[in-house]
Amino acid sequence: MANLRAVGKSVDRRDGVDKTTGRALFTSDMTFPGMLHAKVLRSPHAHARIVSIDTSKAEKLDGVKAVMTHKNGPKNLFNAAAPMFLTVSNLERVLDQYLFDEIVRYVGDEVAAVAATTEAIAEKALSLIEVEYELLPAVLDAEEAMSENAPELHAGKGCTPEGKNIPGEIIRIPYGDVEKGLKESDVVIEKSFTLPIVKQVQMETQSAVAQVSGSGDVTVWSTTQTPHPSRAILGQVFGIPASKIRVLAPPYVGGGFGVRIGLSGLAEAIALGLALQAKRPVKMVYSRKEDFIASDTRHPATVTVKLGAKKDGTFHALDLKGIFNTGAYCGFGTELPGVCGAMTLAIYRIPHQRYLGHSVYTNRTSSGAMRGFGNPQGNFALEQVVDMMADALGMSPYELRLKNIMKVNDPWCLPFPCLSTELAECMKQASESIGWEKRESLKASAPHKVRGMGMAVGTHVSNAWPFCVDYDNAYFTVQSDGTVHVASGVPEMGTGVCTSLIQIAADAFGIDMDRISLSFGDTLTTPFDIGSHASRTCYAAGLAIKEAAEDARAQIFDYVAPYFDVTPEMVSLQDGYVFVSSLSDPDAASVVSLDDVKEHKQSKVSLENIAYHAHVRNKQFISTGKIVPKNAPPWHVCFADVEVDTETGKVDVLNLVAAHDVGTAVNPMIVEGQIEGGVVQGLGYALTEEIRYNDSGVQTHSNMHSYMLPTAEDIPPMKSIIVESHDPTGPFGAKGAGECSLVCPASAIANALANATNIRFTELPATPERIFAKLHPQN
Amino acid sequence: MVQDYVFPGTVEQAVAMLAESKGRARVIAGGTDLVLDMRDGKITADKLVDLRAIDGMQRIVEHDDSISIGASVTHSQIVRSTLLRHHAPGLVDACRKVGSLQIRNVATVVGNVVNGNPAADAAVALACLDATATVVDEQGTRTIPFNELYAGICISCINSSCQIVTQISFPKKKAGEGSSYIRMEQRKALSLPMLNVSSKVRVINSQFQDVQLLMAPVGAGPQHAVTAEDFLMGKDITDENIRQAGVLAREQATFRSSAVRGSKEYRIGVLPVCVERALRAAIADAQEG
Repeated sequence: MANLRAVGKSVDRRDGVDKTTGRALFTSDMTFPGMLHAKVLRSPHAHARIVSIDTSKAEKLDGVKAVMTHKNGPKNLFNAAAPMFLTVSNLERVLDQYLFDEIVRYVGDEVAAVAATTEAIAEKALSLIEVEYELLPAVLDAEEAMSENAPELHAGKGCTPEGKNIPGEIIRIPYGDVEKGLKESDVVIEKSFTLPIVKQVQMETQSAVAQVSGSGDVTVWSTTQTPHPSRAILGQVFGIPASKIRVLAPPYVGGGFGVRIGLSGLAEAIALGLALQAKRPVKMVYSRKEDFIASDTRHPATVTVKLGAKKDGTFHALDLKGIFNTGAYCGFGTELPGVCGAMTLAIYRIPHQRYLGHSVYTNRTSSGAMRGFGNPQGNFALEQVVDMMADALGMSPYELRLKNIMKVNDPWCLPFPCLSTELAECMKQASESIGWEKRESLKASAPHKVRGMGMAVGTHVSNAWPFCVDYDNAYFTVQSDGTVHVASGVPEMGTGVCTSLIQIAADAFGIDMDRISLSFGDTLTTPFDIGSHASRTCYAAGLAIKEAAEDARAQIFDYVAPYFDVTPEMVSLQDGYVFVSSLSDPDAASVVSLDDVKEHKQSKVSLENIAYHAHVRNKQFISTGKIVPKNAPPWHVCFADVEVDTETGKVDVLNLVAAHDVGTAVNPMIVEGQIEGGVVQGLGYALTEEIRYNDSGVQTHSNMHSYMLPTAEDIPPMKSIIVESHDPTGPFGAKGAGECSLVCPASAIANALANATNIRFTELPATPERIFAKLHPQN
Repeated sequence: MVQDYVFPGTVEQAVAMLAESKGRARVIAGGTDLVLDMRDGKITADKLVDLRAIDGMQRIVEHDDSISIGASVTHSQIVRSTLLRHHAPGLVDACRKVGSLQIRNVATVVGNVVNGNPAADAAVALACLDATATVVDEQGTRTIPFNELYAGICISCINSSCQIVTQISFPKKKAGEGSSYIRMEQRKALSLPMLNVSSKVRVINSQFQDVQLLMAPVGAGPQHAVTAEDFLMGKDITDENIRQAGVLAREQATFRSSAVRGSKEYRIGVLPVCVERALRAAIADAQEG
């Protein structure tokens, strides 16, 4: 491995100063001359047919420039999420949505949109739209939606014939013979778990500004995590060629956590539809309430685990089932159950496995991608059953896991090999940090309190393959002054890729980071990329950039070799200088021009000199990287130390420790940030966060006030530990790091609660109310 | 739509400004509730009358036998007050629980009371302290006992378009007295209480003398747990008596279920232990001197 100068260093984030001083621009900051503001009228009913809609009064209101309903909106079926464009070739795409439809399928579904000169006028115009609804029977519960008498939400639009209201298909992962394996097991434990609806609550709400030029060229500033796929989706919604559409961020996206893989809610499509009508720029910014009720949530789910083990603790069979409530529209409803199965089955070496999972349509806000993408749901179920198995076998949960976790090249159900894991080391370091050896002798701080520790382990992916289409590209240009410009299609949504990708480019090429600029998040100036999700950005975009850098490097070596009077293999490039590889101390070598180096073999030549030398001879070094990433499993553990007030059910988390094997940590500070943020989201998933519905299908938790995100005061002491491995498939050995941190915390906290109380909590969030009810069944 | 935002220099000016607007003006004391309610269209006003320029309104004042809290005193001022930490520790604890630091820096204690929410932290904590409110309007100045400030659930007796609560006062802590505040919450900041309890006791020879025990949200304003108060009067301080007070409070409590703030069953379930903890904390404060 060449000397790493940038990779592995906690270099400052390139976006850091602008973001902390308020200079960074986001879609919601954008404003243009003549720009209109859009507002959306949303359904108050869970399921209804629009019998009549009269917009004439709204249209007459001074300042209103466009009104769109199902009568004049585009009539192309689509899927607002990335599967519209990234569904793999062996699956059928589920297209089940119109921009505006005469049927509304959840409280918050779009009925009409208005563009006006001010937000207040647009708001006023909404109140002037008269709608007559015919109420249709609504179904909120997934089990109920599959029953015979349930209303059908999307008849004839890509449901499987295998069951009612099941979009796409039922995902089955067979591996070995699970029935035989369960029969051969000495102990079998079966348990079902219920996972709640939670929300990404990214900082910037769904937003877009659309502008249409006189020649029909479309520009959309957008909060999407996937500029290139979003361009394709917009093209199909409106029947506009993709080449006439530019989607970009200006340049930052205020978080995502999966909520805008594809369109940002429907912000881009609503803004563009109105802009096409009004022939003026239109801005659509979701209110926080709209973001809550009308953009994707995490899938609520019921997950059932049946785990069989031999007496000595060897896992022998795992039967897993997951039913996901996908709400009104499918989105990722076909892909996500597959990821849940694959990620949950992949943790342990088990010869006999089976997974069955699918989504179900109901009259709720659509569920979609959220950090972890099905993995936290499955992990919560399996990791609790593993603890139950440890109890049944009289083993420690730590030893039982250590005995069964996947090792390098162990066989598993995934179509790519496990080529790296430091999970055992992660367990060791995290357990030492939290003091796991004291688990049996923990002391609570008061007589009415009990204390416990729990752990959970897991894995994830480093890109979207084989669940979605996944390939990547990069442009790499050595400019005539020897500096480098890189173009990558990924957006910067806070995950630090506008820094970490430059670290990769710097070391792959051999130049200081300060001499590299990056274009990103813009379909016009960057090559195709599937976007920032699936923990893939640093891994997949990084690979494409690395390949492009290596190509450019090779071009330079070909160019300079004759001047050095050596073959191209005999020169090196480091810190912006080219020299013969045999040079003992390049740092100390004198600098000469390329024309003189033949006479001074112990000297080095600057890139600046070489690039200009080539430029005046009509040559530039330009390359592309085009890669199809393999995949690689990151590994991670979370340990929790909790105390429960038995008189009130209140939980105090005393300590959380997470240890992650993300391969090479390209920027350890950014990885630590990823771990800490995910662990806090996991804390909310475990204890407080939940969106519920009343019987009429209205969301009872639809703002920051009622939705219980952990606050700064709720965050316990935490420790993030990075255990590096080197995965041969990733750039400089890196693996995915973005999502893992949110997979295990709830599982670990639930195991700690069981350790403290001797009660197994199968439903999240474990609120004081739920804990109290189990501790005091008589009350 | 607010057209005017004024800073009167005296209480008299403030009353006159309200009067001349004939119901279209309103007192703003912090505004952390009012501004949201106005944005939601629940309250409308043409003019807002801000009391912060009136001398004395922003002070916590120690008198011979009492302490008064001016209309512009913020929650943060209470949290920082060593005087109140000694005389009304429950009030300090309650104020620390309101909103976030930014909200506590702006929101006033008197506003918290006049807003009328029965479970408002500071209001519940004040309710056990024999507090009174000084109310000024065109008719003059009156002193109203704390429990007469509520007209209904989330409805105050104070009409903020013509009346001003200039201060809330309560007696200083005397020998043998102690007070406390307990709340159940869904998170440690930015959350309304699921239920809350405040208590003030006077302990003589390990016996309960005066006992004030209040709980919310179970009605219009903080409500006395009357049977529990009566039961404890003159009783020895024992675990059994404290437990019995919790049971009696539960029998009287009429919580409602909220999809967001917890079920009736849970609130009733944990009320006894909250009462016990409030009593124990008040006793500890009394014994601390």
